[in-house]
Amino acid sequence: MSEFKRKFVQDFIDDNRWHFITDGLINTIIITLLALVMGVIIGVIVSIIRCAYDQRDENSKHYFLAFANAICKVYIAVIRGTPALVQLLIMYFIVMVTAESKIVVAVITFGINSGAYVAELFRGGIMSVDKGQLEAGRSLGLSYVQTMKKIILPQAFKASLPALINEFIALLKETSICGYIGLNELTRGGDIIRGTTYDALLPLLTVALIYFVLVMIISYLASLVERRLRKSDNR
Amino acid sequence: MITVKNIHKSFGDNHVLNGIDYHIEKGEKIAIIGASGSGKSTFLRCLNLLERPTDGQIFIDDEEITAPGVDINKVREKIGMVFQHFNLFNNLTIMDNITLAPVQLGKMAKEEAEDKAIELLKRVNLEDKASAYPSQLSGGQKQRIAIVRSLAMNPEVMLFDEPTSALDPEMVGEVLQVMKELADDGMTMVVVTHEMGFAREVASKVVFIDEGIIKEENEPNEFFDNPKDPRLKEFLSKVL
Repeated sequence: MSEFKRKFVQDFIDDNRWHFITDGLINTIIITLLALVMGVIIGVIVSIIRCAYDQRDENSKHYFLAFANAICKVYIAVIRGTPALVQLLIMYFIVMVTAESKIVVAVITFGINSGAYVAELFRGGIMSVDKGQLEAGRSLGLSYVQTMKKIILPQAFKASLPALINEFIALLKETSICGYIGLNELTRGGDIIRGTTYDALLPLLTVALIYFVLVMIISYLASLVERRLRKSDNR
Repeated sequence: MITVKNIHKSFGDNHVLNGIDYHIEKGEKIAIIGASGSGKSTFLRCLNLLERPTDGQIFIDDEEITAPGVDINKVREKIGMVFQHFNLFNNLTIMDNITLAPVQLGKMAKEEAEDKAIELLKRVNLEDKASAYPSQLSGGQKQRIAIVRSLAMNPEVMLFDEPTSALDPEMVGEVLQVMKELADDGMTMVVVTHEMGFAREVASKVVFIDEGIIKEENEPNEFFDNPKDPRLKEFLSKVL
């Protein structure tokens, strides 16, 4: 027991090493939340462009829509076709080489990365809404945009929520690769302590436990939101 | 009020409508019958351009709605549509289902739209369902709400696409009753239906569509008692 205590003090108390964990945790949370917001915004826009193109009126020309749709398809293909770590390294060492803040690089990389996945899962949500809903809205005189905003997207969002939470959780854990560009996020924080004290067990288990608790919190919050959204299908 | 000139519609190689000409006067109640796949629903959906005809013209009050550049949303405000599967907005309460379009399109203020909705709900005896969601209603109730939702826009004509085909038999009557009252109020109606009793009783004209063209059209008694087209005779012998 005293051996455990000695290691605990050495790992976390001496030289205020717990700071590596807390600072890392803060960075992880910042990157995850900002990237999620960016990913959802990109994802919603891309999924709407893709669906609007699929549902276009075939008798008229839509050059702009066709062009935007093609770009979205390339974007999704490229992002899904390459590892997030490779994207991060390319961003850091090639595209944003002059960036001052590693966090900005990470947020943008993960935002763009997440956007592609959110776009596809959200497109699935939109497609899952019965096409009669769109027809009913349009036949009342509502425009495509009005119908999307008031009728289709709220239902699509509800349908995609579980997948969106999955993406959120995956994103949180994937930010652990930021250590590769020397960004002090949670995983790297624990790893720095390991490298300093040569004790692997406590720092890494602590890191794992914190990720686990964060995911539990996200899952709990998601279940609250889902319960609220379910009020329109009580039978 | 509605004039259809030689409309054709094909989906790829599948020619669904093969040249339909028709004219509907204000206040008329047209019942359209025909076998499934005959093109009757497609014809109805062309009238508010949910399907765009591949060829031909449609005029509403002398405005050609098939012309390029026509604001189709404005045209659809005047044309109510009731679907086989109701298509109530699942994410909205009954009240919001009814008031969404009039309020969004600036036809009415929110309070005005809600007053009108309550009045319409009373007409179909569903005023107690205003705050319910569609999933809490029976099929017959949903369809009555769907009719009310269209009426909230004060349409000049109402299109019905097999409004009772997805209902349990005991609920057909309540929906037909609402439609009958609507007809008595003088609404112009175009109804695709398999309810021959309703067609005979309420319609001012009955139209038989087969193979994408109008094979026969007549006032109901003559239409049902003395059919001339051989395909219609065959059809009626199966359904009556």
